[in-house]
Amino acid sequence: MQTINNTKKGWSVKDVIFLAIIGIFFGIIYQVWSYAYYALAATPLKPYANDITLGVWIMAGPLAGVLLKKVGASLIGELLAAAVEMLLFSSWGAATLISGFIQGIGNELGFAATGYKNWDKLGLLLSTIGSTIITFIWDWFQNGYNEYHMGLLVTLFIIRFISIGFFSGVLVYWISRLVNKSGLGK
Amino acid sequence: MFTHRLNPAILLIIMLGIGLQITFARSFLTNVAIVIIGLSYLLYCKISIKLISIMILSAFPVALGSWWSFIAFGTSDVWHVGWIYASRVYAYLFLGSILTLTVPIKDILLSLEKHLKLSSTFVYGILAAFNLVSRIKTQYKIIRYSATMRGTEYHLWNPGLYLRIIIVALNWSGDLAEAMTSQGFTEGGARSSIYHDNLPFWQWLLSFVLILIYFFFSFIVRPW
Amino acid sequence: MKNSLVIQNLTFAYAEDEPNIFQNFDFELPIQNFNLLVGPSGSGKSTIFKLIAGLYPQYRGIKRDGKILLNGQEISEVVPFERAQHVSMLFQNPTRQFAMKTTFEQIVFVLENIQYPENKIVPKVNEILETMHLNAFKDRNLQTLSGGEQQRVALAMTLALDSPIILLDEPFANIDSKSRIELLHELKILQKDHGKTIFISDHDISNYDGLVNHVYQMNVEKKKIVELSLSFLKDTLLEQHFAQNTLSSSQIFSWNHLGFKSGDRTLLNDSSLFLPQGQIGLLSGDNGIGKSTFFAALSHQKKYTGSILFKDNPSEKVRLGKWAKIVANIFQNSSDQFIRLHAHEELELSARHSLRSDYWNDNRIKKAISHLNLTDVLNHVSYQLSGGQQKKLQALAVLIMSQPIMLFDEPFAGLDIDSVKSLMDIITETTVDLELTSLIISHQRKGIDNRVNYELIMADQKIRRQKEF
Repeated sequence: MQTINNTKKGWSVKDVIFLAIIGIFFGIIYQVWSYAYYALAATPLKPYANDITLGVWIMAGPLAGVLLKKVGASLIGELLAAAVEMLLFSSWGAATLISGFIQGIGNELGFAATGYKNWDKLGLLLSTIGSTIITFIWDWFQNGYNEYHMGLLVTLFIIRFISIGFFSGVLVYWISRLVNKSGLGK
Repeated sequence: MFTHRLNPAILLIIMLGIGLQITFARSFLTNVAIVIIGLSYLLYCKISIKLISIMILSAFPVALGSWWSFIAFGTSDVWHVGWIYASRVYAYLFLGSILTLTVPIKDILLSLEKHLKLSSTFVYGILAAFNLVSRIKTQYKIIRYSATMRGTEYHLWNPGLYLRIIIVALNWSGDLAEAMTSQGFTEGGARSSIYHDNLPFWQWLLSFVLILIYFFFSFIVRPW
Repeated sequence: MKNSLVIQNLTFAYAEDEPNIFQNFDFELPIQNFNLLVGPSGSGKSTIFKLIAGLYPQYRGIKRDGKILLNGQEISEVVPFERAQHVSMLFQNPTRQFAMKTTFEQIVFVLENIQYPENKIVPKVNEILETMHLNAFKDRNLQTLSGGEQQRVALAMTLALDSPIILLDEPFANIDSKSRIELLHELKILQKDHGKTIFISDHDISNYDGLVNHVYQMNVEKKKIVELSLSFLKDTLLEQHFAQNTLSSSQIFSWNHLGFKSGDRTLLNDSSLFLPQGQIGLLSGDNGIGKSTFFAALSHQKKYTGSILFKDNPSEKVRLGKWAKIVANIFQNSSDQFIRLHAHEELELSARHSLRSDYWNDNRIKKAISHLNLTDVLNHVSYQLSGGQQKKLQALAVLIMSQPIMLFDEPFAGLDIDSVKSLMDIITETTVDLELTSLIISHQRKGIDNRVNYELIMADQKIRRQKEF
């Protein structure tokens, strides 16, 4: 009988299902929160709504990174969450997947900058900086941030960094510490 | 009839190929063109008017907010810019919906596996997880209830909420993966497949032509 | 080719720093026989099945020594699509063993996995559906089938794989007794007429007499399984029902014309009843009949028709947050209950928010902790406690909350008899002292029967008091 080739250490089906289930939970959480977002997004305050909530939208990426500690985990975690959102939770548009990709790249760059050696405070700090900068550049084009005046841009950038810093940095760090203490981490 | 529909893999290529460009294009009219072409394709695929209307309405708040924020905070030609970004919301929406509304999830994934080399580990892992959606929703309720029952509440910023989610995801993904392995599913292994779809050469050609035409109009002609 | 499945000198543990579950364990599976493994839940039955299916140590644990050989080859090294054609498995939780949406798609998936010739797949699936009488379920969503139906589909998969060895890990945990008997009958045919080897684990030994060739039992002390005499199966106790005590006439909790469904199956229809206050009821009924779903409806976690009344007021308009202070649910799965990390935090949280903090003073809590033998583990992480300790901790945490209505879903599963008795002491004392309305779902009757005041039976979409039968 053919035996297992144990040489490559790629993605297991368990990892994929694990991240997809987390993505579905996030989809449910977002559904509850999206009402608040929409209420704010229907006004001129939309850019604020975007930047305040951004950290929550991109949490899935760094969370996947610190839980699986794998090259590409942040990017794939974020992409999976975006795919879930697009396919199961009625975000029919193309923007969901494309933004997910961009956000994932931002997170991934942070961990990559540590040579994929640090999945702790430093990795997360760099990941939040990476995603803040990358998503801001992206919104410069996609959401027309280049049209806003300097004062608003600075405010938005700071809000964005705080949001991402808290949800995708501090909170993810707390979660990973909790998972480690619980003894359930892998 | 079905054979004239576009293959899911082609739809994804169109979606990404044009979607990435939209971000950098600054034209109201090309956005409108995407909406019209997308809407025509949806109608051709006999998608119900009701579903299309719901979709259009659901994006309205964001489109309105985009438009309004430029009128309020814009620095240059605020009206033009307002309309570009409001219509862009809909261009994205229709671009995505030609894939998400016309093809079942399973066919999207199987087509990506067959034509775009998406690994079967992802295809079947995602399908397996998606089957549990209604159970995951129930589980989320249980998690919330377990806290209220004890006089407290989980908020979005409580790490404990995510620990609960992670525990469920760990257990369930383990159960499913073990079952799939025992059913012979082999990561990276060869499989046979009864999934067959039509992907004639003209569809590849069409996707490239559409992407090029869009590029030409958005970045060279640059209509209003 | 003659099959063989042999364990040689196996030593296995769940983790590097944990004690061995099996030690120097030798075993040979009797081929073409019907074999049964018995033992209480949590004793390691699943582990042995997953080891011989080649799933462990890939998915969990470390093998410290020994071999598990399928036809002379180490099974964990055999590639899954080959392995599945020799050994296949039915799992304890039927809902979490399907990758696909429908019965048809699922069996296709299995055949594709073993690289069955493409043009023969559809005819083969149809043939299997025919054999297993599953035609009516061909395009049904697997997640909406009953547990019994789901296990039939799982059995159909093993036929598609054509594996000579079929492992069934507690396959009847969520299945009614009628389906259980049917499935056992089908397994017997597979063994006798088709030469399959059956290895099944069960905590309930009824219906096996005359069916099986070998019975084994987990022996936790020796860290291995031992064979028992077949006469062991004759000791089946007939389920006894309780004599009805005098019911308390005071009541604050009732329901009217209550009904609910799971998918399109009606589980309860037009039921009206009250629960007496200050007393403990036992809710019995077949596996999979909808007892847990009933609890979910009572706690407003599941949609229902009709009305649930608290102090004669319909509850449908009561906010969820407020209802959770009236009806508490002690979940079957302990990890669904914990909201803090350590055991002591769990109890402190309850003490802080207790609805009867006058009653649950520090002294009483301390006494309860020591009565349940939890004193030494208070500083441990709840998730790392043994299954039994988790059960006791979660029950105590909710008892301290002292909602007027307490619903216990299998609180004694996996507890030793002393633990059952001490937990029952605390449930009884709290129920009587605080005039709570308690209802318990439990398969375990030993150690609780003299403390229960009445019994409700759920069957045929109805809930009746025992004396009405």
